[in-house]
Amino acid sequence: MNFYFSLQFRMHNRRMKDFGLNPIIGYFFSIISYIGLSCLLFYMTKYAPYIYILITIGIISKLNSANRNDFLKVCFSTKKYFQLRMIENMILTFPFVLFLIYKSEYLCALILPILSELIALVNIDNKLNFTIPTPFFKYPFEFTVGFRNTFFVFAFVYFLTFMAIYVGNFNLGFFTILVVFITCMSFYSKPERAYYVWIFSLNPKSFLFRKIMIALLFSTILSLPILLSMSIFFPDKIWILLIFQGIGYIYLTTVILAKYADFPEEINFSQGVLFFLGLVFPPFILVIIPLFYSQSVYSLNKILK
Amino acid sequence: MISIENLSKEYGTRQVLKNINLTFEKGNVYGIIGENGAGKTTLFKCIAGIEKYNGIIRSNYKILKNQLGFLQTEPYFFSKITGYEYVQLLCNAREISIKNIEKKNIFELPLNQYAITYSTGMKKKLALTAILLQNNDFFILDEPFNGVDIQSNILITEIIHKLKELDKTIIISSHIFSTLNDTCDEIHLLKNGAFIKHAFKEDFGKLEQEMKDFIIGNKIDKLDLQ
Repeated sequence: MNFYFSLQFRMHNRRMKDFGLNPIIGYFFSIISYIGLSCLLFYMTKYAPYIYILITIGIISKLNSANRNDFLKVCFSTKKYFQLRMIENMILTFPFVLFLIYKSEYLCALILPILSELIALVNIDNKLNFTIPTPFFKYPFEFTVGFRNTFFVFAFVYFLTFMAIYVGNFNLGFFTILVVFITCMSFYSKPERAYYVWIFSLNPKSFLFRKIMIALLFSTILSLPILLSMSIFFPDKIWILLIFQGIGYIYLTTVILAKYADFPEEINFSQGVLFFLGLVFPPFILVIIPLFYSQSVYSLNKILK
Repeated sequence: MISIENLSKEYGTRQVLKNINLTFEKGNVYGIIGENGAGKTTLFKCIAGIEKYNGIIRSNYKILKNQLGFLQTEPYFFSKITGYEYVQLLCNAREISIKNIEKKNIFELPLNQYAITYSTGMKKKLALTAILLQNNDFFILDEPFNGVDIQSNILITEIIHKLKELDKTIIISSHIFSTLNDTCDEIHLLKNGAFIKHAFKEDFGKLEQEMKDFIIGNKIDKLDLQ
């Protein structure tokens, strides 16, 4: 079991190196970002401890896929398998529990490890026979797959929109548009296999144009119920909604271009930094888009030539 | 016609393909055989343009890959994509509008289910169906019979015959000699990254016997089975 954890550590370091980051610097930045984002979350909302629990569960659920755990079950005895899964979840939960204790959220700090250990005991079967219907089936795959993986987010977002209108809170409704676009961007977070680009009989420019057009169309479909209902109930603030819808389109386009900028590799460290700069300093996006576009055309040209 | 001239491929210092020269004519079916690791899949990826290589590949097509249907040994599927959507994706990629997929679903696959829930053979049949519906002129089928049931094997053999009849060019790799015997016009033996032998249909029996003698040799005796 020790070997398993040292192997995980080595694999994690390799991922950081592949990303172009020295692991020591990577861990340093991870800790700083973790503390910074946690402080920001607790500063922004009184519901932070609950959101914190949800985020932690979301992270540890990634370790719960049936395929991964079936493999571990084959490798280890039943007893060791459960020990390993529980230790894994405990390691991931530990920093979150520490921060909850620091914030004197003792009840949440008690519930979180219990939940995480319970999750270690169950497998999430991702091979369900039930097919979640989507309106995107004509143009697979990003939105069809992404929507099915995150459909609960949209259910929650539409519920929040309803609540925003019900209690007359424009900011809450406007926040849901941001969540829709962040979720749509997550559909483009990892590069697909080269085969799924290779199959296209398009040149890089047409390929990118097509990907972007589909993303803009489908993200509009997902955000339209929010836009329309908010426009009806907050007609004097339509312009704010439209501005943020536009910003959403720009960032979504940037994410798509970033995804293919070093294709078939994942986005590298320097591209990640540029994208982050674009997030914190939006005008910088005007530099990033043409840069990522030319890098994407160059990368795709090797596969689509 | 597709011709390969002096194709070589290295991974670091390891040479995987050595000076490959080969021509594929229209309306012919070519079998590529060789041990695991001989370089078959790498050769296919080079022809498809997925892997970089040294050498020249010429064809009558402006862009060869746009006429190529590539069935991979282990087709990859996204976790939540249905069989129907997979076919749609591959047809969209070639700007082909397809109607009545159900009618063309000759392997009777559950197209509304997620492809990842399919068995190995069903996945292969789905990937094959998709590249067939792309109306390609040139096919690379990397182990098309592997993991597929006997009924579908018969069907795949007939599909290959039909493609040949339609003047398509097909390259197949298989570890089951009889399947190549039934379908191929020519078989090429790849060993350590180089073609060391080839045979036309009339000599397939001889090639198979030579391979058996070479492969088996006295290896079984070495096991000292009691």
